[in-house]
Amino acid sequence: MNEKIDNIILKISAETLEKLVFMFASPYDPEESTEQDPDTGASVSFTGPFSGTLGMKVSGEVLSEIAVNMLGVDDEDETTPDDQNDALKETINIICGNILPVIGGKEAVFNIDAPMIIPEGEDIKERDGEKLVSDAKLSLDEGRCDLVLFVNGEIPD
Amino acid sequence: MALNILVVDDSAVMRKMIIKTMGMCGIPLGEIKQAANGKEGLEELGKNWIDIVILDINMPIMNGEEMIDEMKQDSEIKDIPVIVISTEGSSTRIERLKEKGARFIKKPFTPEIIRDTIYEVTGVGEGDE
Repeated sequence: MNEKIDNIILKISAETLEKLVFMFASPYDPEESTEQDPDTGASVSFTGPFSGTLGMKVSGEVLSEIAVNMLGVDDEDETTPDDQNDALKETINIICGNILPVIGGKEAVFNIDAPMIIPEGEDIKERDGEKLVSDAKLSLDEGRCDLVLFVNGEIPD
Repeated sequence: MALNILVVDDSAVMRKMIIKTMGMCGIPLGEIKQAANGKEGLEELGKNWIDIVILDINMPIMNGEEMIDEMKQDSEIKDIPVIVISTEGSSTRIERLKEKGARFIKKPFTPEIIRDTIYEVTGVGEGDE
């Protein structure tokens, strides 16, 4: 695991959640946490100077809260499961788009695939040749957010 | 002057968010059209009078950069202002989009950035109706 990459992912994910959906995150502390394990997730793969997959799983009310805040509606009943999945996919897409120039360099050109929903109960899977380089966790008021990054190739220092 | 705006993004939630944001920050809105990719976007441009295009880049079927290239080939629509709102982080790609005449806003965005950029490219200002 790469602590520098963990910190980049935690910082950018927290900033994105705050700006995009007004959710405030702090580093996960397993000794103080009472949150449920994440059960709903999405992943996005990319190619470029190095390729990889970024995965994100969220717990509790996080999924519905992301959709509610993104759509600017008053409560969860005003969102559909499709809205919630779409909101989660857009969130990971934005996090990925903001992480890659930081770890790959501003001039590097990456192609980001369409995000995909991870069926409930399934783990985030790496593609062939990819290795786990980061496993980062955030605590939110509404639950937890776990992020993993798998990479195939060399990440520049 | 109310602005007719075309929002092109493959995420329905992001289209709704952009439209809601534009409404919240006082932009004088006329008709709002939506499309899920560049091909659908060009079809909407062929059917409607549009003052400004809000465009994502990474989309299936036809991406945003390809849509801009197609627009530049058509004298009827080549001068419509384009604002790209995207997760794109590569300075190489962002410069290429700017050379094609597009303005660029990175996601996640603030309402103020959208409002100010629309006012800049259209010349429409606060208080216009």
